[in-house]
Amino acid sequence: MKDSCSSVSRLLEKYFDQEATDKERSLVEDHLAGCLSCQDTLEWMGDFRDSVKTPVKMAVQKEDFERAWQNIRREIQLQEKSSWWKSIQSWLDLPRFFRKKVWVPAVAVVAIFALLTTQVFFEEASEEASYGALPDVEYVDSSYNVMVYAIEKSKITVIWLFEGQEMEAPSS
Amino acid sequence: MNQDENELISRCQKGDQEALKEIYDRYHDKVYRIAYGMVRHREESLDIVQEVFIKLFRSIGNFKGKSKFYTYLYRMAVNTAIDHSRKMYRVFSSSLDEEGAPQPSEMAEKGPDRILLHKELEEKVKAALDELPPDQRAAILFREVEGLSYREMAESMGCSIGTVMSRLHYGRKKIQESLRKYVKEEGRE
Repeated sequence: MKDSCSSVSRLLEKYFDQEATDKERSLVEDHLAGCLSCQDTLEWMGDFRDSVKTPVKMAVQKEDFERAWQNIRREIQLQEKSSWWKSIQSWLDLPRFFRKKVWVPAVAVVAIFALLTTQVFFEEASEEASYGALPDVEYVDSSYNVMVYAIEKSKITVIWLFEGQEMEAPSS
Repeated sequence: MNQDENELISRCQKGDQEALKEIYDRYHDKVYRIAYGMVRHREESLDIVQEVFIKLFRSIGNFKGKSKFYTYLYRMAVNTAIDHSRKMYRVFSSSLDEEGAPQPSEMAEKGPDRILLHKELEEKVKAALDELPPDQRAAILFREVEGLSYREMAESMGCSIGTVMSRLHYGRKKIQESLRKYVKEEGRE
Protein backbone atom coordinates (compact mmCIF):
# COMPACT_ATOMS: atom_id res chain seq x y z
CA MET A 1 0.00 0.00 0.00
CA LYS A 2 2.84 2.36 0.90
CA ASP A 3 4.52 1.97 -2.50
CA SER A 4 1.23 2.62 -4.14
CA CYS A 5 0.77 5.83 -2.08
CA SER A 6 4.15 7.22 -3.13
CA SER A 7 3.44 6.47 -6.77
CA VAL A 8 0.05 8.18 -6.49
CA SER A 9 1.45 11.20 -4.56
CA ARG A 10 2.13 13.38 -7.62
CA LEU A 11 -1.07 12.27 -9.31
CA LEU A 12 -2.96 13.16 -6.18
CA GLU A 13 -1.81 16.76 -6.50
CA LYS A 14 -2.78 16.86 -10.17
CA TYR A 15 -6.13 15.36 -9.21
CA PHE A 16 -6.64 17.98 -6.51
CA ASP A 17 -5.64 20.78 -8.90
CA GLN A 18 -8.03 19.40 -11.54
CA GLU A 19 -5.20 18.86 -13.98
CA ALA A 20 -5.32 15.07 -14.12
CA THR A 21 -6.31 13.26 -17.30
CA ASP A 22 -9.32 10.90 -17.26
CA LYS A 23 -7.02 7.93 -16.89
CA GLU A 24 -5.10 9.50 -14.01
CA ARG A 25 -8.32 10.52 -12.31
CA SER A 26 -9.75 7.03 -12.31
CA LEU A 27 -6.42 5.68 -11.05
CA VAL A 28 -6.43 8.11 -8.13
CA GLU A 29 -10.08 7.51 -7.32
CA ASP A 30 -9.50 3.75 -7.25
CA HIS A 31 -6.60 4.27 -4.87
CA LEU A 32 -8.47 6.73 -2.65
CA ALA A 33 -11.29 4.30 -2.13
CA GLY A 34 -9.01 2.03 -0.14
CA CYS A 35 -6.44 4.43 1.34
CA LEU A 36 -7.21 6.50 4.45
CA SER A 37 -3.77 8.13 4.40
CA CYS A 38 -4.29 9.59 0.92
CA GLN A 39 -7.82 10.64 1.86
CA ASP A 40 -6.26 12.58 4.77
CA THR A 41 -3.71 14.14 2.44
CA LEU A 42 -6.47 15.24 0.09
CA GLU A 43 -8.42 16.70 2.98
CA TRP A 44 -5.29 18.48 4.19
CA MET A 45 -4.86 20.02 0.74
CA GLY A 46 -8.41 21.38 0.91
CA ASP A 47 -7.84 22.87 4.39
CA PHE A 48 -4.55 24.30 3.25
CA ARG A 49 -6.19 25.98 0.27
CA ASP A 50 -8.85 27.53 2.54
CA SER A 51 -6.25 28.75 5.00
CA VAL A 52 -4.27 30.49 2.25
CA LYS A 53 -7.27 31.89 0.44
CA THR A 54 -9.43 33.21 3.27
CA PRO A 55 -7.07 35.85 4.76
CA VAL A 56 -6.28 37.20 1.30
CA LYS A 57 -9.96 37.45 0.40
CA MET A 58 -10.69 39.24 3.66
CA ALA A 59 -7.87 41.73 3.15
CA VAL A 60 -9.10 42.65 -0.35
CA GLN A 61 -12.53 43.55 0.99
CA LYS A 62 -11.07 46.10 3.41
CA GLU A 63 -9.01 48.13 0.97
CA ASP A 64 -9.81 51.53 -0.50
CA PHE A 65 -8.82 50.97 -4.10
CA GLU A 66 -10.23 54.32 -5.25
CA ARG A 67 -7.65 56.13 -3.11
CA ALA A 68 -4.95 53.92 -4.58
CA TRP A 69 -6.13 54.89 -8.07
CA GLN A 70 -5.93 58.61 -7.19
CA ASN A 71 -2.32 58.04 -6.13
CA ILE A 72 -1.55 56.25 -9.38
CA ARG A 73 -3.07 59.04 -11.46
CA ARG A 74 -1.24 61.73 -9.49
CA GLU A 75 2.06 59.91 -9.93
CA ILE A 76 1.52 59.49 -13.69
CA GLN A 77 0.64 63.17 -14.08
CA LEU A 78 3.70 64.20 -12.07
CA GLN A 79 5.87 62.08 -14.31
CA GLU A 80 4.32 63.63 -17.40
CA LYS A 81 4.93 67.18 -16.08
CA SER A 82 8.56 66.52 -15.40
CA SER A 83 9.03 64.75 -18.71
CA TRP A 84 9.71 68.02 -20.64
CA TRP A 85 12.63 68.77 -18.34
CA LYS A 86 13.85 65.20 -18.67
CA SER A 87 13.63 65.44 -22.46
CA ILE A 88 15.82 68.55 -22.39
CA GLN A 89 18.25 66.79 -20.08
CA SER A 90 18.33 63.71 -22.25
CA TRP A 91 18.78 65.87 -25.35
CA LEU A 92 21.73 67.62 -23.75
CA ASP A 93 22.65 64.46 -21.93
CA LEU A 94 24.54 66.54 -19.34
CA PRO A 95 24.78 63.96 -16.57
CA ARG A 96 26.27 61.38 -18.94
CA PHE A 97 28.60 64.02 -20.32
CA PHE A 98 29.95 64.76 -16.85
CA ARG A 99 29.89 61.14 -15.76
CA LYS A 100 31.93 59.95 -18.72
CA LYS A 101 34.51 62.76 -18.25
CA VAL A 102 34.87 63.16 -22.00
CA TRP A 103 35.13 66.87 -21.30
CA VAL A 104 38.44 66.51 -19.43
CA PRO A 105 40.69 66.13 -22.51
CA ALA A 106 38.69 68.81 -24.36
CA VAL A 107 39.12 71.30 -21.51
CA ALA A 108 42.80 70.35 -21.26
CA VAL A 109 43.32 71.04 -24.97
CA VAL A 110 41.55 74.41 -24.71
CA ALA A 111 43.61 75.34 -21.61
CA ILE A 112 46.91 74.44 -23.31
CA PHE A 113 45.90 76.38 -26.44
CA ALA A 114 44.94 79.40 -24.33
CA LEU A 115 48.24 79.24 -22.46
CA LEU A 116 50.26 79.07 -25.67
CA THR A 117 48.41 81.89 -27.40
CA THR A 118 48.71 84.08 -24.29
CA GLN A 119 52.44 83.47 -24.24
CA VAL A 120 52.76 84.36 -27.94
CA PHE A 121 50.65 87.46 -27.40
CA PHE A 122 52.82 88.65 -24.52
CA GLU A 123 56.00 87.95 -26.45
CA GLU A 124 54.73 90.06 -29.37
CA ALA A 125 53.62 92.79 -27.02
CA SER A 126 57.02 92.92 -25.36
CA GLU A 127 58.69 93.04 -28.77
CA GLU A 128 56.50 95.96 -29.75
CA ALA A 129 57.32 97.69 -26.49
CA SER A 130 61.01 97.29 -27.16
CA TYR A 131 60.56 98.72 -30.63
CA GLY A 132 58.66 101.62 -29.09
CA ALA A 133 61.50 102.29 -26.70
CA LEU A 134 64.10 102.45 -29.47
CA PRO A 135 62.50 104.20 -32.42
CA ASP A 136 64.36 104.93 -35.63
CA VAL A 137 64.34 108.70 -35.99
CA GLU A 138 64.01 109.44 -39.67
CA TYR A 139 63.71 113.22 -39.74
CA VAL A 140 63.88 116.19 -37.37
CA ASP A 141 62.89 119.69 -38.34
CA SER A 142 63.71 122.04 -35.52
CA SER A 143 62.28 125.05 -37.27
CA TYR A 144 58.82 123.53 -37.22
CA ASN A 145 59.38 121.48 -34.09
CA VAL A 146 58.70 118.22 -35.92
CA MET A 147 60.34 114.87 -35.46
CA VAL A 148 59.44 111.94 -37.65
CA TYR A 149 60.41 108.46 -36.58
CA ALA A 150 59.31 105.01 -37.61
CA ILE A 151 59.05 101.54 -36.16
CA GLU A 152 59.96 99.40 -39.11
CA LYS A 153 58.48 96.11 -38.00
CA SER A 154 55.04 97.40 -37.25
CA LYS A 155 55.08 99.89 -40.11
CA ILE A 156 53.97 102.73 -37.86
CA THR A 157 55.13 106.24 -38.45
CA VAL A 158 54.79 108.70 -35.61
CA ILE A 159 54.94 112.46 -36.09
CA TRP A 160 55.69 114.26 -32.87
CA LEU A 161 55.05 117.98 -32.49
CA PHE A 162 57.15 119.58 -29.76
CA GLU A 163 55.59 122.05 -27.44
CA GLY A 164 57.19 125.36 -26.54
CA GLN A 165 57.46 127.03 -29.98
CA GLU A 166 54.81 129.50 -31.03
CA MET A 167 55.27 129.02 -34.73
CA GLU A 168 52.99 126.38 -36.20
CA ALA A 169 53.82 124.07 -39.04
CA PRO A 170 52.56 125.39 -42.37
CA SER A 171 49.70 123.57 -43.86
CA SER A 172 50.92 121.69 -46.89
CA MET B 1 -8.14 38.13 -24.69
CA ASN B 2 -11.38 39.58 -25.97
CA GLN B 3 -11.89 42.42 -28.42
CA ASP B 4 -12.85 44.87 -25.69
CA GLU B 5 -9.65 44.19 -23.77
CA ASN B 6 -7.58 44.47 -26.94
CA GLU B 7 -9.04 47.91 -27.53
CA LEU B 8 -8.37 48.96 -23.94
CA ILE B 9 -4.75 47.86 -24.19
CA SER B 10 -4.33 49.64 -27.51
CA ARG B 11 -5.76 52.87 -26.03
CA CYS B 12 -3.54 52.52 -22.99
CA GLN B 13 -0.52 52.09 -25.26
CA LYS B 14 -1.37 55.47 -26.75
CA GLY B 15 -1.29 57.05 -23.29
CA ASP B 16 -5.02 57.06 -22.52
CA GLN B 17 -5.36 57.21 -18.73
CA GLU B 18 -9.07 56.39 -18.82
CA ALA B 19 -8.19 53.08 -20.47
CA LEU B 20 -5.71 52.43 -17.69
CA LYS B 21 -8.47 53.13 -15.17
CA GLU B 22 -10.67 50.49 -16.81
CA ILE B 23 -7.83 47.98 -16.73
CA TYR B 24 -7.24 48.92 -13.09
CA ASP B 25 -10.92 48.33 -12.25
CA ARG B 26 -10.73 44.88 -13.79
CA TYR B 27 -7.50 43.71 -12.27
CA HIS B 28 -6.68 45.65 -9.09
CA ASP B 29 -8.10 43.01 -6.77
CA LYS B 30 -6.18 40.22 -8.51
CA VAL B 31 -2.92 42.16 -8.31
CA TYR B 32 -3.65 42.96 -4.67
CA ARG B 33 -4.25 39.29 -3.83
CA ILE B 34 -0.89 38.33 -5.31
CA ALA B 35 0.82 41.20 -3.49
CA TYR B 36 -0.84 40.46 -0.17
CA GLY B 37 -0.12 36.76 -0.47
CA MET B 38 3.55 37.52 -1.06
CA VAL B 39 4.21 40.26 1.51
CA ARG B 40 1.36 39.81 3.99
CA HIS B 41 1.16 43.48 4.77
CA ARG B 42 -1.76 45.70 3.76
CA GLU B 43 0.01 49.00 3.19
CA GLU B 44 2.87 47.34 1.41
CA SER B 45 0.39 45.45 -0.78
CA LEU B 46 -1.34 48.69 -1.76
CA ASP B 47 2.05 50.20 -2.60
CA ILE B 48 2.75 47.19 -4.81
CA VAL B 49 -0.62 47.61 -6.57
CA GLN B 50 0.19 51.26 -7.28
CA GLU B 51 3.68 50.48 -8.47
CA VAL B 52 2.45 47.70 -10.76
CA PHE B 53 -0.10 49.91 -12.51
CA ILE B 54 2.35 52.80 -12.89
CA LYS B 55 4.88 50.35 -14.35
CA LEU B 56 2.17 48.91 -16.58
CA PHE B 57 1.30 52.34 -17.98
CA ARG B 58 4.95 53.04 -18.72
CA SER B 59 5.75 49.67 -20.25
CA ILE B 60 2.50 48.55 -21.86
CA GLY B 61 4.03 49.47 -25.22
CA ASN B 62 6.22 46.37 -24.83
CA PHE B 63 3.16 44.10 -24.65
CA LYS B 64 2.82 42.56 -28.10
CA GLY B 65 -0.16 40.32 -27.36
CA LYS B 66 1.79 37.07 -27.71
CA SER B 67 0.71 35.95 -24.25
CA LYS B 68 -2.50 36.59 -22.34
CA PHE B 69 -2.64 40.06 -20.88
CA TYR B 70 -3.41 38.92 -17.32
CA THR B 71 -0.41 36.57 -17.28
CA TYR B 72 1.73 39.53 -18.37
CA LEU B 73 0.24 41.59 -15.54
CA TYR B 74 0.59 38.74 -13.01
CA ARG B 75 4.23 38.35 -13.88
CA MET B 76 4.77 42.05 -13.30
CA ALA B 77 2.89 41.79 -9.99
CA VAL B 78 4.90 38.81 -8.77
CA ASN B 79 8.23 40.38 -9.71
CA THR B 80 7.31 43.65 -7.99
CA ALA B 81 6.08 41.78 -4.90
CA ILE B 82 9.28 39.70 -4.78
CA ASP B 83 11.33 42.93 -4.92
CA HIS B 84 9.27 44.39 -2.09
CA SER B 85 9.44 41.26 0.05
CA ARG B 86 13.23 41.21 -0.34
CA LYS B 87 13.34 44.81 0.79
CA MET B 88 11.02 44.19 3.69
CA TYR B 89 12.73 41.00 4.84
CA ARG B 90 10.60 39.59 7.52
CA VAL B 91 8.50 42.64 8.25
CA PHE B 92 5.55 40.65 9.33
CA SER B 93 2.56 42.65 10.46
CA SER B 94 1.26 41.66 13.84
CA SER B 95 -2.10 43.09 12.81
CA LEU B 96 -2.49 40.25 10.33
CA ASP B 97 -4.64 38.28 12.69
CA GLU B 98 -7.19 41.06 12.83
CA GLU B 99 -7.03 41.71 9.10
CA GLY B 100 -7.04 38.21 7.80
CA ALA B 101 -8.86 36.06 10.26
CA PRO B 102 -12.15 34.61 9.04
CA GLN B 103 -15.20 36.18 10.63
CA PRO B 104 -17.42 34.02 12.84
CA SER B 105 -20.31 34.40 10.41
CA GLU B 106 -18.21 32.80 7.68
CA MET B 107 -17.43 29.79 9.79
CA ALA B 108 -20.85 29.53 11.41
CA GLU B 109 -21.64 26.29 9.67
CA LYS B 110 -18.50 24.72 11.12
CA GLY B 111 -18.22 23.53 14.71
CA PRO B 112 -16.16 25.43 17.36
CA ASP B 113 -13.34 22.85 17.25
CA ARG B 114 -13.18 23.19 13.51
CA ILE B 115 -13.07 27.01 13.76
CA LEU B 116 -10.19 26.84 16.25
CA LEU B 117 -8.37 24.35 14.06
CA HIS B 118 -8.84 26.59 11.02
CA LYS B 119 -7.63 29.68 12.85
CA GLU B 120 -4.56 27.91 14.15
CA LEU B 121 -3.88 26.36 10.78
CA GLU B 122 -4.12 29.76 9.12
CA GLU B 123 -1.60 31.27 11.50
CA LYS B 124 0.82 28.41 11.01
CA VAL B 125 0.32 28.43 7.25
CA LYS B 126 1.09 32.16 7.17
CA ALA B 127 4.34 31.60 9.01
CA ALA B 128 5.23 28.58 6.88
CA LEU B 129 4.45 30.46 3.63
CA ASP B 130 6.77 33.20 4.75
CA GLU B 131 9.60 30.70 5.01
CA LEU B 132 9.19 29.50 1.42
CA PRO B 133 11.37 30.78 -1.43
CA PRO B 134 9.49 33.46 -3.44
CA ASP B 135 9.06 31.19 -6.49
CA GLN B 136 7.32 28.48 -4.49
CA ARG B 137 5.22 31.02 -2.60
CA ALA B 138 4.10 32.60 -5.88
CA ALA B 139 3.22 29.17 -7.31
CA ILE B 140 1.06 28.37 -4.29
CA LEU B 141 -0.69 31.74 -4.47
CA PHE B 142 -1.39 31.43 -8.18
CA ARG B 143 -2.90 28.01 -7.65
CA GLU B 144 -4.64 28.27 -4.28
CA VAL B 145 -5.81 31.89 -4.40
CA GLU B 146 -6.15 32.73 -8.09
CA GLY B 147 -7.01 29.21 -9.27
CA LEU B 148 -4.78 29.44 -12.34
CA SER B 149 -4.17 26.33 -14.40
CA TYR B 150 -0.64 24.92 -14.66
CA ARG B 151 -0.35 26.37 -18.16
CA GLU B 152 -1.43 29.86 -17.03
CA MET B 153 0.95 29.65 -14.10
CA ALA B 154 3.82 28.69 -16.39
CA GLU B 155 3.04 31.70 -18.60
CA SER B 156 2.82 34.04 -15.62
CA MET B 157 6.03 32.79 -14.07
CA GLY B 158 7.95 32.44 -17.31
CA CYS B 159 8.82 28.77 -16.80
CA SER B 160 7.74 25.29 -17.93
CA ILE B 161 4.71 23.37 -16.64
CA GLY B 162 7.11 20.84 -15.12
CA THR B 163 8.77 23.60 -13.10
CA VAL B 164 5.37 24.85 -11.97
CA MET B 165 4.41 21.36 -10.76
CA SER B 166 7.72 20.99 -9.01
CA ARG B 167 7.42 24.37 -7.24
CA LEU B 168 3.90 23.56 -6.13
CA HIS B 169 4.87 20.10 -4.93
CA TYR B 170 7.90 21.23 -2.92
CA GLY B 171 6.09 24.27 -1.56
CA ARG B 172 3.20 22.16 -0.29
CA LYS B 173 5.56 19.53 1.04
CA LYS B 174 7.59 22.06 3.04
CA ILE B 175 4.48 23.61 4.52
CA GLN B 176 3.09 20.20 5.38
CA GLU B 177 6.38 19.29 7.10
CA SER B 178 6.53 22.49 9.12
CA LEU B 179 2.93 22.01 10.18
CA ARG B 180 3.68 18.43 11.15
CA LYS B 181 6.54 19.72 13.33
CA TYR B 182 4.16 22.16 14.96
CA VAL B 183 1.61 19.41 15.63
CA LYS B 184 4.34 17.28 17.25
CA GLU B 185 5.52 20.21 19.42
CA GLU B 186 1.97 20.94 20.49
CA GLY B 187 1.53 17.25 21.36
CA ARG B 188 4.59 17.33 23.63
CA GLU B 189 3.26 20.38 25.50
